[in-house]
Amino acid sequence: MERSSRRDFLATTALTGLAGILATGIPPARGQQREISYLCWNNFAPASDRKLAAIGQRFTKDTGIKIKIDHIAHAQQAAKYASEVQSQAGHDLVEMRMHFPWLYETQLVDVSDVVADLERQYGKALSSAYETAQVKGVWRAVPQYHLFFVATYREDLFKKASLKIPDTWEELYTVGKELKKMGHPVGIPISQNYDSISTAGPVLWSLGGMEIDRDGKTVRINSPATEQMIEWYKKMYRDCMEPEVLSWTDSSNNDSIAAGKAGWIHNPVSAYLTARNRKMVTADGINHHRSLAGPAGRHETDVPRHIGIWKFSKNVEPAKEWIRYLLGKREVYDEYIMSGDAFLLPVYDRLQDHPVLKTDPKFAALKAEGVQFHCYGWPAPPSDKVQRITNEFILPNMIAKAVTGTPTKEAVAWAEKEMKRIISE
Amino acid sequence: MAVKRQPLLRKIVLHVALLPFLVFALFPFYHMTLTSLKTDRELYDRGAVPLLIREGPTLEHYKKLVWETAFLTWTKNSLLVTGIATFASVVIGTIAAYALARLKFPGVGPFGTGIFVTYLVPTSLLFLPLAQVVHWIGLADSKWALVVTYPTFLVPFCTWLLMGYFRTVPREVEECAMVDGATRLQALARIVLPMAVPGLVCAVLFAFTLSWNEFIYALTFLSSSEEITASVGVTQELIRGDIYFWGSLMAGAVLGSVPIVILYVFFLDYYVSGLTAGAVK
Amino acid sequence: MAVGSLRVGPVAGRRGLRVRELLDHERFLGPAFVTPALLLIALLVAYPFCMAVYFALSNAFIGRPSQFVGLRNFIALWESDSFRQTFQNAFVFTGIAVLFKLVLGMALALLLNEQLWFKRLIRGTVLLPWVIPTALSTLGWWWMFNSLYSVVNWTGINLGLMDPPGPNWLGQKYYAMAAVIAVNVWRGLPFFAITILAGLVSIPRELYEAAEADGAGAPARFWHVTLPLLKPVLAIVVLFSTIFTFSDFNIVYVLTHGGPINSTHLFATLSRQVGLESGQIGQGAAISLYLFPVLAVVVWVQLNFVRRQQY
Repeated sequence: MERSSRRDFLATTALTGLAGILATGIPPARGQQREISYLCWNNFAPASDRKLAAIGQRFTKDTGIKIKIDHIAHAQQAAKYASEVQSQAGHDLVEMRMHFPWLYETQLVDVSDVVADLERQYGKALSSAYETAQVKGVWRAVPQYHLFFVATYREDLFKKASLKIPDTWEELYTVGKELKKMGHPVGIPISQNYDSISTAGPVLWSLGGMEIDRDGKTVRINSPATEQMIEWYKKMYRDCMEPEVLSWTDSSNNDSIAAGKAGWIHNPVSAYLTARNRKMVTADGINHHRSLAGPAGRHETDVPRHIGIWKFSKNVEPAKEWIRYLLGKREVYDEYIMSGDAFLLPVYDRLQDHPVLKTDPKFAALKAEGVQFHCYGWPAPPSDKVQRITNEFILPNMIAKAVTGTPTKEAVAWAEKEMKRIISE
Repeated sequence: MAVKRQPLLRKIVLHVALLPFLVFALFPFYHMTLTSLKTDRELYDRGAVPLLIREGPTLEHYKKLVWETAFLTWTKNSLLVTGIATFASVVIGTIAAYALARLKFPGVGPFGTGIFVTYLVPTSLLFLPLAQVVHWIGLADSKWALVVTYPTFLVPFCTWLLMGYFRTVPREVEECAMVDGATRLQALARIVLPMAVPGLVCAVLFAFTLSWNEFIYALTFLSSSEEITASVGVTQELIRGDIYFWGSLMAGAVLGSVPIVILYVFFLDYYVSGLTAGAVK
Repeated sequence: MAVGSLRVGPVAGRRGLRVRELLDHERFLGPAFVTPALLLIALLVAYPFCMAVYFALSNAFIGRPSQFVGLRNFIALWESDSFRQTFQNAFVFTGIAVLFKLVLGMALALLLNEQLWFKRLIRGTVLLPWVIPTALSTLGWWWMFNSLYSVVNWTGINLGLMDPPGPNWLGQKYYAMAAVIAVNVWRGLPFFAITILAGLVSIPRELYEAAEADGAGAPARFWHVTLPLLKPVLAIVVLFSTIFTFSDFNIVYVLTHGGPINSTHLFATLSRQVGLESGQIGQGAAISLYLFPVLAVVVWVQLNFVRRQQY
């Protein structure tokens, strides 16, 4: 008697427990309430995340659609997105950074209608948005905003030494030599991180070179332009920089200029903002100037961020409503951009001269007149193979080899071989 | 059994020999703690002395971590997940280990080796299909997903470790007890387990730490701020793009380890020293 | 020799006796005891395990249909410079790190086994590296090796061991490998020490006393008593640590991202770069599983060796 009742008790408890566990995973009957979820990055400016949450709450009030906003660091996005795609479940809206829409093309909803509406309002999207979010003629993600690289320098040091603000990469070398003598070397990373590619790209483009051609197949790294770029880097490394740049990560150049060491770096405006927000001594001396040019034009790296909707989402229409609410209403879009401290700027033509640029005189150079913006791998469309070449850091590794002793031609031949192998796989 | 009286010189030599190990283990932690207590201005000052706090310690990083982020929630989640997963894994491991060490039944050999093969596929690859399984069970974005999946990498090692310790218990001791009328279960509980306590303590330690440190499953199976664990939460909140909030990050490291170490030290000490004091014959 | 006292339970009713007999029967108890572990593995590991192996043998790409391609990924990988470098790195990294951990762990365990002052404090200190959340301790080490603020260089220069500005730890080929090995050893040493310590503690003192009575000095006692009895524990710990060290991800990812010039890439970090970040899960899986057949054989051999150690 005793034994059986104890067994029953155990069984019931176990079953209840199991049911309880399963129940937490089953969504309750929703009826009228629609609910969407949005996974975006953890904005560099926490105020922007708070603003996004506030806009989300207003959205719920105005439309009755509940929205849950989660954040994720950009280093973790690849793993997270892969697992959401693999399990065909997760968030409805996701941030698509840079050329991700090409990678996840088959999993993203066609949002051309939303983009068409936004373009009607704000003018055409920037070329870098077209290059990255429009895949084979179909918009797979809605361009939201972009951050881009700009020359960041110690204005006070330049004034003290009466140095001319450089306008070309060659002039940077001249100025850089002086800066290094003053103990404030130039800081351009040559290591396995994206900041390295963000500088190597513009230098190469401004010399008329490229990694892969427009057709996405022909490897063009083995060219005089590449050799010129490598020679430039070699003399920069020797005369204007210190060997530590071989170990730098994405935050190292920010730290270097904020701490007062580097005299010139190439970075989005986050470097200046960090120094300013941490109330560092150097903040007053940091300013920006227009991106540098070369014989083949003035090119710069752009990092656009878009919003995509997974195909497996069961709430595609409410998701589109959210995008229209956040980006489609001028006041809301402006409000959102203003909270971002000019780190993130609009990607539509008619919004280029945005009021946020006037909030700090140091943002003046962000107007970027006459600068052509591209994403990694330009001019090749960012197909899987081109993205693979970017992610393998072949370009920075080639430069690293050259500056640490490998003969230029050998380094270029190595890069060419690796790129050809990836293209032909 | 009397403890041999150790000459003082030998003791001093032993402690001196320990010193490099302690410095090696402690130095990074000391540096991390200092970093968490320095003001931002001193922290990012190139000319500052990294080993001392010159401009006065500050608790602002700790305050920021604890009050301005959901750190307490994340820590609570970590403790809950780790506690339950550890307990479950050690229990499952113990009984499986006993069976593999003592009992003869068909399939004992292959099974023993088979469960270890699960380690050969690293979690950095397994997480992808496992995310699918988690979704099928309906535990997506719930910390119970971790409670259920963590034992997959905790149980095999616990089993093998405990097998090793169970083997050091001579069979005769158990057989004596059973001749005296005890069942196998009683023999297990009252004879074998107490003698294998160092192994159990090891298994608990190991399981606890691996769960506590686990990152990729916690990252991919969970999303909401209310569900994520401490390591995921701290890195997500305090590393934004190319900006690292070093003071608070290190505060997270300190808060995430000191309470655990204190717990360990008492737990470990209680059992292990209890055994060395009165050795089993 | 009997130990302690056992109270035998009261004789239960007829039904109770039969259940007890059943529970005593090895044939029933054995499988019953392994069932929970078996279920766990069958339900939660079998499918992902097979899927992971399938990925490696297919041209899987995130979100796209895949086809079985056999060993093509494994063969194609060998043409990649970054992979060949990774292969070499993995063996260097694992070999050196595990060796250091074993030797230092053994030494530390022997020291901890003695009667010490401040025992609790010492044990706590030794455990610290193992307990600090990995994601954060690795960041702490990056901060220590950071070229701008490096406390390692600062200390070295001030102690006169280095010339300013000190080695470029994370930017030079062999230094970077040394740095990641150092962090791995730092983190893994407590695990070795504590596990070996637990093994040491279980060795009956009479064996030492008998050996001493036979005239054996400390080294001889270590060689003839300690080591043989520790073999099962050592074998498990080394095997386990080898597998874990081979598949280490966090240290390299945070400190060097695989650089400089792929000189610290390990299987897990390269797999992340190729598989997750570039979408080619098939190749990424192949990288992760490259050593699978070798490790499987090693595991099988080792575990059979351990199982044969009967008391």
